[in-house]
Amino acid sequence: MRTPKKVDIDITNRCNLRCRYCYHFESAGDADGDGDLPAEEWLRFFGELNRCAVTEVTLAGGEPFLRGDLREIIRGVVENRMRFAILTNGTLITDEMAAFLASTKRCNYVQVSIDGSVPESHDAMRGRGSFARALQGLQALRRNGVRAAVRVTIHRKNVHDLEGIARFLLEDIGLGSFGTNSAGAMGLCRKNAEMVQLTVEDRILAMETLLRLSKQYNGRIQAMAGPLAEARTWLDMEDARLEGRPPMPDRGALTGCGCYRSSLSVRADGVITPCTMLSQIELGRINRDDLATLWREHGLLNALRERGHIPLSRFPFCEGCDYVPYCTGNCPGLSYTLAGEVNHPSPDACLRKFLAEGGRLPDRALLC
Amino acid sequence: MDVKKPIANPLIVLREEFDDWAILFDPDTGNAFGLNPTGVFIWKLLDGRHNPDDIVNRLREEADNVPEDAGEHARRFIASLEQQGLVGYEIEQGPGAGTGVRG
Repeated sequence: MRTPKKVDIDITNRCNLRCRYCYHFESAGDADGDGDLPAEEWLRFFGELNRCAVTEVTLAGGEPFLRGDLREIIRGVVENRMRFAILTNGTLITDEMAAFLASTKRCNYVQVSIDGSVPESHDAMRGRGSFARALQGLQALRRNGVRAAVRVTIHRKNVHDLEGIARFLLEDIGLGSFGTNSAGAMGLCRKNAEMVQLTVEDRILAMETLLRLSKQYNGRIQAMAGPLAEARTWLDMEDARLEGRPPMPDRGALTGCGCYRSSLSVRADGVITPCTMLSQIELGRINRDDLATLWREHGLLNALRERGHIPLSRFPFCEGCDYVPYCTGNCPGLSYTLAGEVNHPSPDACLRKFLAEGGRLPDRALLC
Repeated sequence: MDVKKPIANPLIVLREEFDDWAILFDPDTGNAFGLNPTGVFIWKLLDGRHNPDDIVNRLREEADNVPEDAGEHARRFIASLEQQGLVGYEIEQGPGAGTGVRG
């Protein structure tokens, strides 16, 4: 691509919650310099995104709805011919704001985090009262016709509530679908790992339960990462190994995630990075560095794009692993936080490691 | 002979790629349309100053082996863009009233 198609922007570093597994706080993305950048800076940057033919921005943070000038920022997105999505904890969304979002006709979705079917499992990690307020925000979006996408982050306190969560979101609330992930080893989650991160037993339970629920609800439970995605990918890899299949296309090397081929991220301090999960890699600064030039020519970005040519067989971590021909090495952000290097397979998503630690794969009959 | 001079909807985003193909993106609907290099060439001349014949003439100046029926293809292409709201025409609105764009 000549220019990025999408840009993920932390428009604030402030948040009204401190969720125990937030990937943002205490990561390199937790950078606000002298506080939030003024709206004028973002509006000027949106003009550059317009000239670069960027079609979508994702506004995140921190909590985007904390910004008093959010409407001005969103109007800037609209005036610059883009669509937008917002990632939020949902607790600050009013009917008035939801009506405004709907009026723009440019909102792809607002993603609200709901982690439980009852306050206990949600509030355990996000703080007392946050479940009720998140639900109010979610309902405000739905009342006003804004597409609301719910993301459930799976952790130790809600892994036993997955059936309840699915019933609550899909039946009681009536969502068409929802997405799942698990607390990843970044930011505050690393600090609170003992309290938050799934154990091997938890992962087994989460994979089996989510596969069963996904089948029961006709695929209305989705995942790009986390236990549900891992269950599907790992079962496929195990089948390939057992059948002695030839190497899969785009596997056997560090091909995991190619977000930096189509998108960029910007931290709340205006620093441009390849991805919110790689916010320690500073590529430049908005309104100072030319975005199109940076996109095409920055050495670090181009090096990331080349990591897909690095074979997994090069790494001692992968030595002797039968899954190598079917493995992508997974998220480079997690590789960096766990292994200390971007160009390394992520230990967190390693099937061989999971099995060696006592993990087991779910029954194939649970697949949709 | 065509006298109408089409104008690309200024809201539509043209995303050009390295292979000279491109995407037209309509931010109001989220719809995207693929353009081949000839489509991109035509799109860039939808500026209210060129009618389809002018555009095809320019194409013949720039490219070899342009088919005889290129004019008909160009008109159909522009009509399809118009149908999808990607192109309009400048119209006279009477003395003192300025001009408007009809899609």
